[in-house]
Amino acid sequence: MGEVILTMKDIDKSFPGVHALDHVNFEVKRGEVHALMGENGAGKSTLMKVLTGIYQKDSGSITYKGKETEFHNTREAQDAGVVIVHQELNMVGDLTVAQNIFIGREPKKGFSIDDKKMIEDSKKLFQELNIEINPKEKMNNLTVGKQQMCEIAKAISHKAEVIIFDEPSAALTEKEIADLFEIIRDLRKKGLGIVYISHRMDEIKTITDRVTVMRDGGYVGTLITADSTKEDIINMMVGRVIYEDPKEHSMVAPDAPVVLKVENLNAGKMVQNVSFELRKGEILGFSGLMGAGRTETARALFGADPKQSGKISIRGKDGQLREVTINSPQDAVKYGIGYLSEDRRRYGCVVQKSVTENTTLATMEEFTSGIFINKSKEKEVSEKYVKELATKTPNCEQLVVNLSGGNQQKVVIAKWLTRDSEILIFDEPTRGIDVGAKNEIYKLMNRLAAEGKSIIMISSEMTEVLRMSDRIIVMCEGKITGNIDISEATQEHIMNHATRNIN
Amino acid sequence: MKAKKVIALVMCAAMVAGMSASSVMAADMPEQFKDLKANEAYDFPMMVKSFQSTYWDAAQEGMKKAADELGVTYKAQGPNSESDIADQVNMINTAIAAKPAGLGLAACDTSSVLDALQECADKGIPVVTFDTGIADAPEGSVVCEVCTDNTQAGSVAAENMYNSIKDVIANADGQVIIGEVNQDATGQNIQQRGGGFIDKMIELIQADGKTVAVKGNEFYVNAAKGADAKEADADVVIQVAVPAQTTVELCSTEAQAILSQENCIAIFGSNQTAAEGVLAANANLNVLGSDAGAGDVIGVGFDAGSIIKAAVQDGTFIGAVTQSPLMMGYYAIYALTAAANGQELEDVPTDGYWYDSTNMDSEEIAPNLYD
Amino acid sequence: MTKKKKSILSDQRFIVLLVIIVLFAIFSFKSREFRQYTTILSMLDFSYYDLLMAIGVTFPLITGGVDLSIGTGMVCYALIAGSLVRNNNLPVVLAMLLCIVLGIIVGAANGVLIGIMNLPPFLATLCTCMITRGAGSLCSATPWPGLTQDGGWFHSIFKITVGTGRSASRYPIGFLWMIILVLVMEYVLNHTKFGRYTIAIGSNKEAAALSGINVKFYHVMVYVVCGLFTGLAAIAYAAVTPTVQPGTGAGLEMDAIGGVFVGGVAATGGYGSVIGTLAGIFVIMLLKTGLPYIGLQANWQQIITGAVLIIAVLIDIMKEKKAAAK
Repeated sequence: MGEVILTMKDIDKSFPGVHALDHVNFEVKRGEVHALMGENGAGKSTLMKVLTGIYQKDSGSITYKGKETEFHNTREAQDAGVVIVHQELNMVGDLTVAQNIFIGREPKKGFSIDDKKMIEDSKKLFQELNIEINPKEKMNNLTVGKQQMCEIAKAISHKAEVIIFDEPSAALTEKEIADLFEIIRDLRKKGLGIVYISHRMDEIKTITDRVTVMRDGGYVGTLITADSTKEDIINMMVGRVIYEDPKEHSMVAPDAPVVLKVENLNAGKMVQNVSFELRKGEILGFSGLMGAGRTETARALFGADPKQSGKISIRGKDGQLREVTINSPQDAVKYGIGYLSEDRRRYGCVVQKSVTENTTLATMEEFTSGIFINKSKEKEVSEKYVKELATKTPNCEQLVVNLSGGNQQKVVIAKWLTRDSEILIFDEPTRGIDVGAKNEIYKLMNRLAAEGKSIIMISSEMTEVLRMSDRIIVMCEGKITGNIDISEATQEHIMNHATRNIN
Repeated sequence: MKAKKVIALVMCAAMVAGMSASSVMAADMPEQFKDLKANEAYDFPMMVKSFQSTYWDAAQEGMKKAADELGVTYKAQGPNSESDIADQVNMINTAIAAKPAGLGLAACDTSSVLDALQECADKGIPVVTFDTGIADAPEGSVVCEVCTDNTQAGSVAAENMYNSIKDVIANADGQVIIGEVNQDATGQNIQQRGGGFIDKMIELIQADGKTVAVKGNEFYVNAAKGADAKEADADVVIQVAVPAQTTVELCSTEAQAILSQENCIAIFGSNQTAAEGVLAANANLNVLGSDAGAGDVIGVGFDAGSIIKAAVQDGTFIGAVTQSPLMMGYYAIYALTAAANGQELEDVPTDGYWYDSTNMDSEEIAPNLYD
Repeated sequence: MTKKKKSILSDQRFIVLLVIIVLFAIFSFKSREFRQYTTILSMLDFSYYDLLMAIGVTFPLITGGVDLSIGTGMVCYALIAGSLVRNNNLPVVLAMLLCIVLGIIVGAANGVLIGIMNLPPFLATLCTCMITRGAGSLCSATPWPGLTQDGGWFHSIFKITVGTGRSASRYPIGFLWMIILVLVMEYVLNHTKFGRYTIAIGSNKEAAALSGINVKFYHVMVYVVCGLFTGLAAIAYAAVTPTVQPGTGAGLEMDAIGGVFVGGVAATGGYGSVIGTLAGIFVIMLLKTGLPYIGLQANWQQIITGAVLIIAVLIDIMKEKKAAAK
């Protein structure tokens, strides 16, 4: 490890309503791979966006190569040698490899672009990196791994001295990861500073020299990787948060029947062999890091996305559990499943329609006779739920777009209650909802469970999971890695499962 | 060289047309309009089909002339193009709502205005249709029709064309083709005009002892009367083409397909668009001319406009038939005034006139030849 | 590793070329009149403005957008310029320049609405389509104007006539200009920043922006270029039609856009070629011209053109699927 090339000191950044970065410190030395870790929303990406000029910091200082610097956009950062390799690949699929590498700074010959030089330079780059890619190939024709290599080559061609890898391994195969590490080691040897953002604990152990942990927008600490254990890191990530009324034990009656049984559900990469059971009156928490496959599991279960295989059984009105076929959301609704999407505005409610219209959206046929809608019945029902759920709206004719996030959520809940759904899937039920409204939603969920509804709750908020769930399923990279009763659940325990590499 | 000459001629024609707009008017005034005076200073909404064609300019000129003579006023209105049927219906409804003393109407689509006409009948607003008649108008709505007799106009074209090709047909060894380009097969005007041409042509050819067949567009083939031979062994085949859209380019392509046949001896374009299409096709083929005996294909146009006028002048077309939009506009105002006065009216048919290089500057013809 | 050389059969341009040859053969075989020089001459005459519009609209289509205002725009510029020639004795050279300037202005307006104000291209250009349609009719006095003036040299831009009357020889010089323009724009598409960023915007706008490209500027430029070619098309249109009819033009853009798709621009944007557009337009032109010669009523032309378009787009989608399956 050489001298410090980049220092970020006391970086502070606020967005309206969120203190995203709270006096964070971070440094990178030449010839080191420095991991940046933290839970979802800990502020890693924000920090890197501040560094590369996508966001401007509110206060603090960035010292790069001994000089205080501030980049105003990615272009400036690139030119100075600070380059980010994004999680989603930023490649133009219809252009060639060489064209992509030099996009935005094409060498020119007169009026036209000097393609020959571009191809030559790309070849040299690949040689340097020991990669075999044809610069004339179209990006679309490459595997994800190769595309990633191109991103790296592009970064290096900027004469990069600091390269930031934002979850680079997420989409790669094992072999490709090995190749990637080879390149990273090579870059380290050449004296570049490397920032490595990942959730995969064993990768951190394999490739990084130091680890900086962030939590809730704050800096927690920096460790030498070789001297610390996995548990040390996890403890730092989780911290000592005092959460409100964590559930001590499951509220589900021991003899409660199973209402939903999922066996070996497979849907793409994000849902692999998922099996679980949901019992009557149970709140089943789904925990995991971003991209663990929780929402995908819910969508596959609900029939919103196609699934490759899997057996779903649902308890009928007669108390018998029997296998059902769910190929579309209509099927799911028919079997009494309601899905409350994480993105309410896109999937959950029709915001330009009234509370009443939204409430009866999934149950239209019950409110129609012939082709006419029974308006008074519709109104009656929606008023009943407004009262019951304490939805704050002046009247039922109010457009949903004018309600607050929490009240929008209640309208969606009312929609599924009208449908008489026995199984409710809440996907991030309190995202974007203020604290007061959160509590109301929690109360409501508890009441629904007490009334015998069964709930699957997907949540990225650890406190929420621990407070609400009777049992917690932890997912990681499309697989279930933990099934924990609430009485045994701790943050550390969950995080351990969530970062477990299954390979 | 040629173009220069054409332009000079066009300019001449335009000047002549501009000078003598009024002199025809006094002649041949129908009995029912003699000594007509307006009882009040009426104001009539006049619905034209569009402002797209200079045709409607000539009509407005006639309206203005009549309005000045009678001391009434009018307001010409119309949609962007003849196919904007709904726009015109809206305008008509707006006009009716103001309860005018009478309504002048050239309907883009005759069936779409029936409701509006019923309302006129109910409210007692007299309607005078001009240019386009409405056969199934509600009882009591249309008090007078001022229209070109399109069947007659088509047959005028046939008669004059036949004079030039009579000998060629008589002496032909083998089949000859006479082409007709119609911009559509849906408008009543064009239907009657195209049909009038075909029927007259059949009659004339058969009178000289030859056999005729009609081929091409189904509508015109079925509507033709008296064709007596199969396409394969007829002496004369009348080939009717209708493009997919009413544009000059597509008319031109159709005309080109007809003209490029070696045994094509004559062609008729039944309105301004179709006639310009024929001329555009000829720009490359260069087969039109006035000497049928020497192998020229005889071209006949319809309506006017600078291009067609120039073609008639230099002999590319041996002539064309013009309607009299001027007279239609003129008589429409007269009919409305008479109707507003409470007079009972008979329909006023206007003729299609043949014009060629010899008479196109004459006093009877020139005012109708808009640019 | 992917294959080094792609099969020539997978190049849509080659398929389209085959289609052209086959169509030409069918029409020539079925109609003696079709295989005449004058037929080809006329076909070329009427192809120029279609092709120019198509070259222009190739760029918005590659970005995944569209420009519906080209048809009415073209007629509008020709009408305005023609009216000024006719009523105010504007020299024809200035009238031509005016067509181009008007095209660029409307193109820039489209570009700003789409690239900067983020209106959907369909909506933005539908509006300018209506505006140009109305404006063209409004600005032209009722006589149908043309763009010809003294000397008649204007028409010689696209067709040189040697001699007069029946013995005259005519040379479709316009075709040469078209080939040159197609090659220039093919080069622009593949070898200049503008072309490359056009593809980048169509393929992955987000990535283009993150690569530091001024996406807004290039997005506007795409429509400006389209407008420029619409202006050129206006000149060609005025040169081949005897007069320009006010109120027309709606629907002409469909021939051009259809031709571009037949020529192999991806229906979703991202790739395409100007040479392909040239070939695509000739498929459309062949159908338009040839079907009347073999005695098919012209309504068939539209049905068959529609069918050809569906097949062309299906080929494209199947290719995409195959590529995705790799």
